Amino acid sequence: MAFWRYAGRRGLHTAVTLLLLVGFMFVLFRMIPGDPTTMMLGTGELPAEAQQRLRVLWGLDRPLWQQFIAYALNLLQGNLGMSFYFRRPVSEVIAPMLANTVLLMAPVVILAIVIGVAGGSWLGWRRGGRAEEIGAVLALIPRALPVFWTGIVLLALFAYQFRWFPIGGIREAFFFPENWWQRLPFFDITRHLVLPVATGVLASVADPLMIQRTALLEVRHEDFMVLARARGLSGRAQRRLARRNAILPVLTYSAIMVGFAFGGQVLLEVVFNWPGIGRLMVDSVTQRDYPVAQAAFLMMAAVVVFLNLLVDLAYGWLDPRIRGG
Amino acid sequence: MLRLALLPLGSWSGRFAIFVLAAVVLVAAVAPALAPYDPLANHFDAAGQLLRLDPPSARYKLGTTYYGLDVLSQLIYGTRIVLVVGITCAVLIGVIGTNVGLVAGYYGGRVDGLLMRLTDLAFGIPFLPFVVMLVALLRPSLWNTIVAISMLMWRTSARVIRSQVLSLRERGFVRAARIAGASDLRILYVHIFPNVLPMVLLYVAFDIAYAVLAEASVSFLGFGDPNQVSWGQMLYLAYVSGSIRQAWWWTLPPGLAISLFVIAVFLVGRNYERLTNPRLR
Repeated sequence: MAFWRYAGRRGLHTAVTLLLLVGFMFVLFRMIPGDPTTMMLGTGELPAEAQQRLRVLWGLDRPLWQQFIAYALNLLQGNLGMSFYFRRPVSEVIAPMLANTVLLMAPVVILAIVIGVAGGSWLGWRRGGRAEEIGAVLALIPRALPVFWTGIVLLALFAYQFRWFPIGGIREAFFFPENWWQRLPFFDITRHLVLPVATGVLASVADPLMIQRTALLEVRHEDFMVLARARGLSGRAQRRLARRNAILPVLTYSAIMVGFAFGGQVLLEVVFNWPGIGRLMVDSVTQRDYPVAQAAFLMMAAVVVFLNLLVDLAYGWLDPRIRGG
Repeated sequence: MLRLALLPLGSWSGRFAIFVLAAVVLVAAVAPALAPYDPLANHFDAAGQLLRLDPPSARYKLGTTYYGLDVLSQLIYGTRIVLVVGITCAVLIGVIGTNVGLVAGYYGGRVDGLLMRLTDLAFGIPFLPFVVMLVALLRPSLWNTIVAISMLMWRTSARVIRSQVLSLRERGFVRAARIAGASDLRILYVHIFPNVLPMVLLYVAFDIAYAVLAEASVSFLGFGDPNQVSWGQMLYLAYVSGSIRQAWWWTLPPGLAISLFVIAVFLVGRNYERLTNPRLR
């Protein structure tokens, strides 16, 4: 199958997936008791007549499917509605939070991959040894620790006990640098990033590590590795060669990992009070600010779905066999 | 069969894992006898004041919480939630994932296409936000959490089982059964299912670990069942009451308990993985 036909089909699947997700959320939010007129103002705050006029004005008297079409069309135009709580357009509330989430998760993903590749190569090279057996078990541990608990422990130690790092948030409200290094650009924000990034890396390093280890084990017995040994390459050069050739699975996994990071970061943001989109969703759903909660969820889902599409397209581009079927 | 069940006992990591899991089951079974106090009872000091954040002592071995509750008793009762979540989710995920995989792989064509699109959809949904959203909107309860977790988690085993079935259905014994006049259902559940069972068990085992972590996460975000004591909820209350600064006796035990349980499940899974994937031997 030609690549473009494949891409078109995958794109269509993605569109259907998004539409189903939007529909599911729409129905879910209609299942909860009350409607926007009561949610926004509270039950009984409004005379029945005024409430009825609002319902007509907002189109809540029309059939559900018409409401859904109107909602979907608005969504396509980037109109996500008004926040009940902030009294501002939802898109204005969400955009800065999304940027903050990216600011937090980009270093997490990059560091996790770099450390994972290095550690996985090391383990894979020592296949069969006692170090490898212990290392493989040790690698399971960070994945088993609940992210929020790691965060709590790091906070208790390094923020409360030693006071090395702030206890949360993204910047100090009134931060006055006391010496030259505190005056460096981004000093305050970096200081706030250290603990959440460390927690995130610890939680997500295991997968790239194990994937790199497996890939390295497979590469080790390839012909070109035998040749490298026969040519008398130093151990260091051999390891380098193996590592480079084993890196492809980790790279393809990295896109999936970004998808996982979007969603898993909710806990990280809550523990460290990071003003990102995940915490916004949790707060909004608690405060019953449903337009924001719904939009925050859809935004995270859209990122995951598009990344999956990207991975599939990359696979299809590189490996024509996948396009069929 | 017995040899299969005893397999993890062959390695030191497996023995450790079995010991931990057996301890959790045992503690959950005899929790009322083991726990020194009612996990939801407030404790007061001699002067009648609520015993807030009392460090570990002879009376309260793991101290008390900000709300004057006994940490050790809460920890002991928390094992019950772990078992309920782990077992119920495992059954739900196993049943949904296996059947989706079996039917999609065996029938192929349109049925396969439809079920795999559904699986893709499940993969496209960010897991934790979905569970939180569903639980928060439907009303926080243990059952809602379990359902929300299972609604997405079947996706992995469905995919794996399907690919297994795809190769199994072309094998000689399936053709022989078909020629002998066996019905589709009989072929699926009598001939193919036993062959994918080890794979099902392996994936369900890992799902137990992830389900327990997910429940703890949902509880930590404040959407846990308010009438139950779970380890995730203990950490939630420690966090929101601002006690993580000093009350290590309240924050360390539940976190360590969750981690130990999950590691134990991973280790058991690892031992069985060698069986299904000979390359690891």
